[in-house]
Amino acid sequence: MRAKVDLGVIAYFGLNGAIVFFLLAPIAIVSVFAVNPTPYISFPPVGFTLAWFAKFFANPDFINALWLSLKVAAAVLVLSMLIGATAALALVRGNLPGARLATALFMSPLMLPAILTGLALFQIYLLAGIGRPIWGLVMGHTVVAVPYVIRTTLAVLHNFDRRLEEAAAALGADPARVFLEVTLPLIRPGVIAGGIFAFIVSFDQFPVSLFLVVPKGETLPVVLFNYMKFDLDGAIAAASMVSIALALTVVILLEWRIGLRAYLKL
Amino acid sequence: MASNTAGRVSPVSAQTRRGRKATAVGWLIWPALLLFALFFLLPLGVLGVMAFLSGNPVNAPAVHFTLRHFQRFFADDLYPEALWATLRIGFLTTLAALLLGYPLAHLMARAHSRIAHALLLMAVIAPMLTGIVVRTFAWMTLLQDRGVINTTLVALGVTERPLKLMYNEFGTIVALTHIYVPFMVLTLAGVIGRVDERLEDAARSLGATRWQAFREVTLPLSLPGILAGSLLVFALSISAYVTPVLMGGTDVLTLPMLIYQQVSSSFNPNFAGALGLILLAVSLTLVIAYNKVLAGLAGEEVS
Repeated sequence: MRAKVDLGVIAYFGLNGAIVFFLLAPIAIVSVFAVNPTPYISFPPVGFTLAWFAKFFANPDFINALWLSLKVAAAVLVLSMLIGATAALALVRGNLPGARLATALFMSPLMLPAILTGLALFQIYLLAGIGRPIWGLVMGHTVVAVPYVIRTTLAVLHNFDRRLEEAAAALGADPARVFLEVTLPLIRPGVIAGGIFAFIVSFDQFPVSLFLVVPKGETLPVVLFNYMKFDLDGAIAAASMVSIALALTVVILLEWRIGLRAYLKL
Repeated sequence: MASNTAGRVSPVSAQTRRGRKATAVGWLIWPALLLFALFFLLPLGVLGVMAFLSGNPVNAPAVHFTLRHFQRFFADDLYPEALWATLRIGFLTTLAALLLGYPLAHLMARAHSRIAHALLLMAVIAPMLTGIVVRTFAWMTLLQDRGVINTTLVALGVTERPLKLMYNEFGTIVALTHIYVPFMVLTLAGVIGRVDERLEDAARSLGATRWQAFREVTLPLSLPGILAGSLLVFALSISAYVTPVLMGGTDVLTLPMLIYQQVSSSFNPNFAGALGLILLAVSLTLVIAYNKVLAGLAGEEVS
């Protein structure tokens, strides 16, 4: 009896260990190929080189794409924080009829296939004859990124103690001052956390970009995808490492500054 | 929501009781409404209209309404088969994600140490933040003929020739599962966490084994989470593009691949719209079901 229970426990933790391995090993293996000197993907690794990183940083296609991705993601970060935070405030504080419906609308890009958002924007830009400008790409990314900011800001607003604002008002602060000195600092962590999510969503965004980029003006994921269709070498691994390093920096920043846990409960 | 402390009234419900009169803060909804009207609802509406038009109204003046794009879809076996393949891949991916996601979500929900919980959360979030293209690349290096798994198997003498692990549906499903398991885990962990552990303890004290207590108590109570997580993963995997293209090779043809093909090489935005509308119909059904399940979950919390 005793031994049987222990076997179950071992199986339970063994299974979970295997699942964590399944989740993380594929990402870890990319780092091996980023420094393996063979001209194609091969295993086991035979040496160590930084040539793939050099190739990545020397290739103008990659670098231009990385720049474009960073610029677009930065614009999306700012836009989605502004639009998302104001929307969340209005949804909670505005006493709006149909606030529930509006929330459902704002959350729908999370569930709706992003490829449809991309296709729909492609078609309307085509009909309107505006071509495929960068701001069109930014707006497309913003639509799929804003839900994250709204969600994290709503989470903060729902745990907000309004007596703090009432106290400030009672002490003679006018509404603008209450907002700037009490409300804003209190919702800021939620807005920033959402903004960082928005940045990553935009930086890694593929399906919307696929329809909205122009040749020679592609974002990094699209350039990598096109490269991978024909070549599978260490340059992709190096590019992946650069992307992962950027994402990890952001996660660590997030955990350190704000604490991830609170924002994933919703 | 779930994190509201019991004693405090949430701002939303307090305002509901004060009656529905929009305040000045309500005006702040407009930037978001404008964004969604212009760059989400209107384009999707246009997509819906384009699907029923004979051509592009900008350069073809004699455009008229037609059902021929939908007739074309069902007239050729290629398209219903692609829809079927999309749904099949979505179903198998969801099943695999559930089988892998449930144990991990259970461990995460039951981990009492803060550090263990944070580490597990990191392990789940890290892949989510790596980007779909990068993760698909990782699976290509693992599953291709000269990849990590085949090289190892051949070196060990398990097989003489490399196994065909990718450029087929199998490879597509494996990579998609890896990409979407985190969504399953995060959805499930919240629901399992809300199942009172003492119920399981009670069952055990009445003589149930650990496995029986889980099967008879925790598993049925986490059913809404299983449903919500499965719907989410299914909706995500039927709209995947990158992974089926790179992992499926010429063996796999899904609806999103057809849609992009119509735009990029056939340049038939109307037929693309019709294909998009079919994908939209499938997803909307899922979105509505998902919201119903979530509403059910929220209802349970209140009682």
